[in-house]
Amino acid sequence: MTELTAVTFSEVSVIAAALTALLTGLSIIVLSLVWIERKFLGRIQGRVGPTRVGPFGLLQPVADGIKLLFKEDASPAWANKGIFWAAPLLIFIPSFVLWITIPFSNDWVVRNLELGLFYFIAFSVLSIVGLVLAGWASASKYAVLGGLRSAAQLVSYEIPLIMAILVVVMVAGSMNIVAVVSNQESVPYIAIMPLGFALFMLAGIAEVGRTPFDIYFAESEVVGGPFVEYSGAHWAVFFLAEYINTFLIAVMAALLFLGGWSWPFGDLPSLAGLALFMGKTYLVVVFIFWLRGTYPRLRIDQLMSIGWKVLLPLSFANILIAAFQLFYGWPSWTLTLMSLGVLAVPVYFQIRVQRQPAMERARMYAERAIAHRARRPIAETGAVARTVTVKEPSA
Amino acid sequence: MIAGVKGLLITIQWLFRKPVTAHYPEQHLPVQKRYMGFPGLLWDDTADEPFCTGCMVCVRECPTQCMTAVMHDNPKAKEGTSHRRKIIETFEINLNRCILCGICEDVCALDAIEMTHEHELASFARNGARADLQDLLVLGRQFQAAMPWQAKNPEKNVAGIALAKKDAPASTPASDTATPSPKEESSA
Repeated sequence: MTELTAVTFSEVSVIAAALTALLTGLSIIVLSLVWIERKFLGRIQGRVGPTRVGPFGLLQPVADGIKLLFKEDASPAWANKGIFWAAPLLIFIPSFVLWITIPFSNDWVVRNLELGLFYFIAFSVLSIVGLVLAGWASASKYAVLGGLRSAAQLVSYEIPLIMAILVVVMVAGSMNIVAVVSNQESVPYIAIMPLGFALFMLAGIAEVGRTPFDIYFAESEVVGGPFVEYSGAHWAVFFLAEYINTFLIAVMAALLFLGGWSWPFGDLPSLAGLALFMGKTYLVVVFIFWLRGTYPRLRIDQLMSIGWKVLLPLSFANILIAAFQLFYGWPSWTLTLMSLGVLAVPVYFQIRVQRQPAMERARMYAERAIAHRARRPIAETGAVARTVTVKEPSA
Repeated sequence: MIAGVKGLLITIQWLFRKPVTAHYPEQHLPVQKRYMGFPGLLWDDTADEPFCTGCMVCVRECPTQCMTAVMHDNPKAKEGTSHRRKIIETFEINLNRCILCGICEDVCALDAIEMTHEHELASFARNGARADLQDLLVLGRQFQAAMPWQAKNPEKNVAGIALAKKDAPASTPASDTATPSPKEESSA
């Protein structure tokens, strides 16, 4: 209690000012992200993106925001009104509260928590509550499906994400994010743990639901998922939270793996460090947008199998090799080698599958499906597992 | 995996290409030469008058009945500077009803009507796209200026040939003498 009473009025006001600055800065960053995404995707697809509002369409996100604020805030007649209106906040608050412990520089952080990464993990899990509640309260089948899908997806991909962060914690020996960054002053962790970076990026993109993994928004299947019934300002809050989360994953990738504001060639002044950090972050953001512009959306079974059959074993292997390296005190380049070796395993299998002629692959899948069916004969209908001969591919 | 990396490289290549988007109201892309837009009336430069004699073939054949035409005696024929004894007086096409089928162009024996490149017809009035004789002639002249246009039936049309045979007026085409039957255009 002494610590609580020791908090003075000036401290509280400083924190309030910092939070306000954080919210303002994040809103501006979200506007910039929207602009960058639309321009980048446009150019990738041979279009030009927004050009009309302001120079180079720079004011387009502002115009969109104004439009959203003035739209009618409709709700379905059968919606559970209290939960329906609370769900956007339940998504936005965890994604904003996380930023309290994110450092932007050595000393630019609202609260430099000793267990910062633990705090990050704890609160990043919470947004699932808002998604499921939004889906359930909308009284719409698409929203419910989207909410349940988000639950399945976020639970699956949290494990690899947390495991990847765990290895960073093991190697850095601290959960304090500033300490993690200061450990990377000579070598960024991406050079030591390429596997960890790959796992973190894949799981992180899935966690925020960006496009190759946006199963629970999936316009073509669940027409927007949990957000389908929202409009106007509440939809804008969802949108804001989505982009803040995307930026958060980029920031965490820059902090945990790319060395944050540190620079291998000596110390940088605070502002230059911030600029470097933001540069790395926006690079990761553009990479995420690049993936969005390239890959089509996964099917839900593909999503689940990637999460459980690929990322999860790889993340355990990642922990194992890091543990060996730390326990025996091997030099850090051995971890790089082992990491690359483990990363080569899925790459090898993928290449082997893709090298097979299409006919053989189809035959393999067909045989696998037949074997699967043979294991589970349907007793009620009297249907028995049949042996189906697969036609030989004609030369 | 290889295919995935290939895909990434392909998409990033497009970042360095010129976008294909044309900003429409400021930038007009040229249409193809074979483009069939709205019909226009062509201009006979040798006789300095329209080719059209108002023979009404296109008016009768038009599936949407969007045209009307009225002919009168050609004053130039009396002066002897043209072989056309009849010439178009008024010609109106309701371009909103035109379906761009090109039948009028096909049936015209005198090269008088042709599908031009005109295709931008937005207007604020309900009857804003009615083209009278002057509009149609402007469309035709623009088309002739934009294209290396040549008459398909020069023996019937080029005034110089006909003027050379002024002593033998029977050689003028029979369709020139078709009886005019001006038809009131049914309002849309």
